[in-house]
Amino acid sequence: MTSRGTPSRFLQSVLQNGVGRYVCQLKRISLIFSKKGQSSLGAREFIEEGVVDFAKKNPGTVVYVSPQSCRIPKIVAEYLNGTVREEAITMKSSQDISALVKKLTEQSGLDIIRIRKPFHTDSPSIQGQWHPFTNRPPSIGPVKPRDGQA
Amino acid sequence: MALTLRRAFRSGWRLCGNTFPSPLQTRIGFLFPAVSGHQSISHLTRYVPETSLSRPPWPEVPIIDPMEEVKQHQEVVQKINSSLASREYGRLFAVVHFASRQWKITNEDLILIENHIDADCGDRIRLEKVLLIGGEDFTLIGRPLLSGDLVRVEATVIEKTESSPKVCMRFWRRHRYQRKRIIIQPQTLLRINTVEIAPSLS
Repeated sequence: MTSRGTPSRFLQSVLQNGVGRYVCQLKRISLIFSKKGQSSLGAREFIEEGVVDFAKKNPGTVVYVSPQSCRIPKIVAEYLNGTVREEAITMKSSQDISALVKKLTEQSGLDIIRIRKPFHTDSPSIQGQWHPFTNRPPSIGPVKPRDGQA
Repeated sequence: MALTLRRAFRSGWRLCGNTFPSPLQTRIGFLFPAVSGHQSISHLTRYVPETSLSRPPWPEVPIIDPMEEVKQHQEVVQKINSSLASREYGRLFAVVHFASRQWKITNEDLILIENHIDADCGDRIRLEKVLLIGGEDFTLIGRPLLSGDLVRVEATVIEKTESSPKVCMRFWRRHRYQRKRIIIQPQTLLRINTVEIAPSLS
């Protein structure tokens, strides 16, 4: 199956991340869950076990925990480039939720679409583009028209 | 039989090598050694008209004297050493083998690896399989790798994401057969931080 019709982008990073130092791109994460609901059992477990550790480990990220009367508990992740991603955590166990939170922290908030090339460079050629006369030994002499052909 | 053939072959070669009766004969000897082995020597001296196929189209390259070659090699090494010592090589690039592919990278490049890497985000890793490193006017090629003391290529893990979902669809018409598989692969984004070379070359 070809994928030409799908949306695509080139490889990029947010604001030259990693050139000087690495900055975690997850700005804010809020856990929305219900105090009583069956579907947010795992979310409540995760709040008991893992949220404080996560917040300590990522000082650059703000963590909100907001109990609301909702049927679908969810995680809302906001990134430094303005992207907001919502992930439903209905009927998920606490391990699943912590894996999901880890995945969200490691992402950068750029669109997850087809990437056209697996590399990006700002200086594509250092020795100059190749042409038929590169590395031509100077002992051969300059290029001339062939003998016998005017 | 084999012995005689071999003797004839050898004598034919010797005749070609020693006397050099004409450039044409030596050319024939080079091009068709099997023919010269099977046939008698008298056939070699037969006139063969010169055609476009009687010799290779490129001009004959003279063999460089080994002493001269050593001298040239030393000169080149000296030149590169001086440019390395004065740090006048400009931007460096390297060809690195990583994740079973070869990547041509320079400083501040981005590389996307279609797999999981056992390093956290923000970790700095060193790419050790360096096949080639080059500046503006020189290139060092490893056989096959350059040593770790000579070059140093480092990268930072920026992002660990997942690829966009790829749909693998199998469909057999009129047979009520279809299978749909959606593949999502882990991906790792690397930023190249340093491409360095040690200032002395042996």
